[in-house]
Amino acid sequence: MKEWLGTAARLVTGGVWIWAALLKLPDPDQSVLAIRAYELLPGDSATPVGHLLPILELVVGLCLVVGLLTRGSAVISGLLFIAFIVGIASVWARGITIDCGCFGGGGYDPDATSKYPWEIARDAALLLASAFLVVQRRTRLALDNLLFPPRDRSDGAPSLDPDPQHSGA
Amino acid sequence: MSKESQRQRAEKAAAALRERERRERRRQILTVAGVLAAIVLIVGGGFLINSMRDTSEDVAAAAPPTGSQYGVTIGSSSAPHKVVVYEDFLCPICGGLEKGSGSELAALADEGKVQVEYRPIVVLSRMGPYSAESAQVFAVVLDKAGPEVAKEFHDLLFANQPSEGGPFPSMEDLVELAGEAGADGAAVQAAIDNGEGEDWVADANAAADDLGVESTPTVILDGAPFSEGRTIDDLAANLLEAVQ
Repeated sequence: MKEWLGTAARLVTGGVWIWAALLKLPDPDQSVLAIRAYELLPGDSATPVGHLLPILELVVGLCLVVGLLTRGSAVISGLLFIAFIVGIASVWARGITIDCGCFGGGGYDPDATSKYPWEIARDAALLLASAFLVVQRRTRLALDNLLFPPRDRSDGAPSLDPDPQHSGA
Repeated sequence: MSKESQRQRAEKAAAALRERERRERRRQILTVAGVLAAIVLIVGGGFLINSMRDTSEDVAAAAPPTGSQYGVTIGSSSAPHKVVVYEDFLCPICGGLEKGSGSELAALADEGKVQVEYRPIVVLSRMGPYSAESAQVFAVVLDKAGPEVAKEFHDLLFANQPSEGGPFPSMEDLVELAGEAGADGAAVQAAIDNGEGEDWVADANAAADDLGVESTPTVILDGAPFSEGRTIDDLAANLLEAVQ
């Protein structure tokens, strides 16, 4: 059961990352502006971060969806969500009203204050899902099961979806 | 079978199992390393491609030099540094930049250290007509009263900048402000009534659009984008430092 829950967590979290990345990838200039609007990063470091984030989100999302290096991907995913929660909480606290730029866009948004709580709640839920994937190492329908077959099955053929109930030593 | 050979056989089997496990561990480590290398390559490559796709360098390089027809220029053309600022009279960050650097840049321009051109464009039309109206009155003032009065009007517009959400000064207020800057209020009002300045604003916007200016303020220092600073105050201070 927990393995299937892990699969669901992977698909939801990974799906959100891929979606967010695909909306950002067409316009690198805009990603940089969205990050600069947080007024958090020193000097001109918003530029490289704005160029890096969309591709990082895409790769983390793809790894989660196919279940490749799930634990490591979930750690990166969780760290990113922590960073986003801190960023949104920080602009909220400083009274800066911006579109979070989570799914493209970014910059000034007069209605931002009413959106911040929901954005933080969403990121917190996805952070929980990522944390669950760090704890729950094995999930169903994951590439990891092919590459790193569970120990008690190492004599049998590796499979994408080993059923732990029926695979016994 | 003797106990001795049984023990030997068990040892052999155990050794074979250990060897299998050792190989499996090795295979798994190599797999992780390979996948990680591929991921780093993809992320690194994507990062480089994204950096190359960013157009701000190209925009800055292709932007017309200071002294263009769609802005007001201060300072001598022989100054060692050239600054172009695309700005919207309504954009609060432009207001912050002006507050943090406007009078200092004017002083530096007087000293011959920098030439600055302010290019008003309209990016915030979704907030109401103020952005376009202020740019239009600016165009008329520039046309009727010349660059010195236009620069003064520019400064007054930012000093009296309304909040992005309104309430906004009316056209009459803007014309009055133009008078305060030193323009002939009646002449400005007549020109506005005539629809003058509208084409200038449209053309200035089209030129910026064609260039690819995406947002305001877009600051260009000596042909390169200038975006050094966490906040707009930092950016203004860094800009002043760069042209000292």
